[in-house]
Amino acid sequence: MEIAEPGVLTDIPWITLVWNDPINLMTYVTYVFQTYFGYDEMKAQALMLDVHHKGRAVVSSGSREEMERDVAAMHGYGLWATTQREDA
Amino acid sequence: MFTHDGKQVILDLESQELELLTQLYGQLHELLAQDEMEVDADPLIQLMNMNGPTVIPQDEALARLFPNAYLNDEEAASDFRRFTEPDLRRKKLSCVRDVLGQLQIFDAARALDSQQTQNWLLSLNDLRLVLGTRIGVGEHDDDDDLEVDQDDDESAIDLDRDPGFFLYDYLTYLQGTLIDVL
Repeated sequence: MEIAEPGVLTDIPWITLVWNDPINLMTYVTYVFQTYFGYDEMKAQALMLDVHHKGRAVVSSGSREEMERDVAAMHGYGLWATTQREDA
Repeated sequence: MFTHDGKQVILDLESQELELLTQLYGQLHELLAQDEMEVDADPLIQLMNMNGPTVIPQDEALARLFPNAYLNDEEAASDFRRFTEPDLRRKKLSCVRDVLGQLQIFDAARALDSQQTQNWLLSLNDLRLVLGTRIGVGEHDDDDDLEVDQDDDESAIDLDRDPGFFLYDYLTYLQGTLIDVL
């Protein structure tokens, strides 16, 4: 198919980042990613390990409003999360 | 500790644990509620929907519970905080109050429904965040661990450690047993 979907990428330029911290348990972080985002255990664990080893991980992307909702939810779970433009 | 009997989550607590948790949850409640009263003081500000704070709390533990949502955009971080922090604080308080209520009528062991279980999970995590921040967990940790090294649990007791670390280790253990049965 040659039909382009214009603006799909530029329409969703926001991401939610979760940052490493020394207190939250790895098992808890994995549980949160599974429970809130509905990710399977493998994906949730991979994201948790990214946070752990790389210091942060992109856990979701979408509109700014959606990302603010995700950030607020992460703060509700006690995870340290921020949002920003994908290209920022 | 938390266990699962195949149908529901069961919490067993020794009397010492009950006493300790009641004390810690009382302190967490005080920390969160103190802030709440200040925020809700002015009805005019409430009416203007400006009831949320705009800057990160000065208290480092509260700052950890209510972090900035934007790293390099102060204005966006302020707006986000103003509209979300009061709700977030109310939710955290409501978890703490529910658990405090459970502790008041606790009788050695207790079956928890899913809401009570969730309230325990979130509030235990908040408690660890507050205590961990106070005692400086990770501050001298060069390998930048996401969690306190669990292998250390079995190691010899270091009497020079801040007593807060014993409480922190206990909360870590307790939360661990809960995550295991979820």
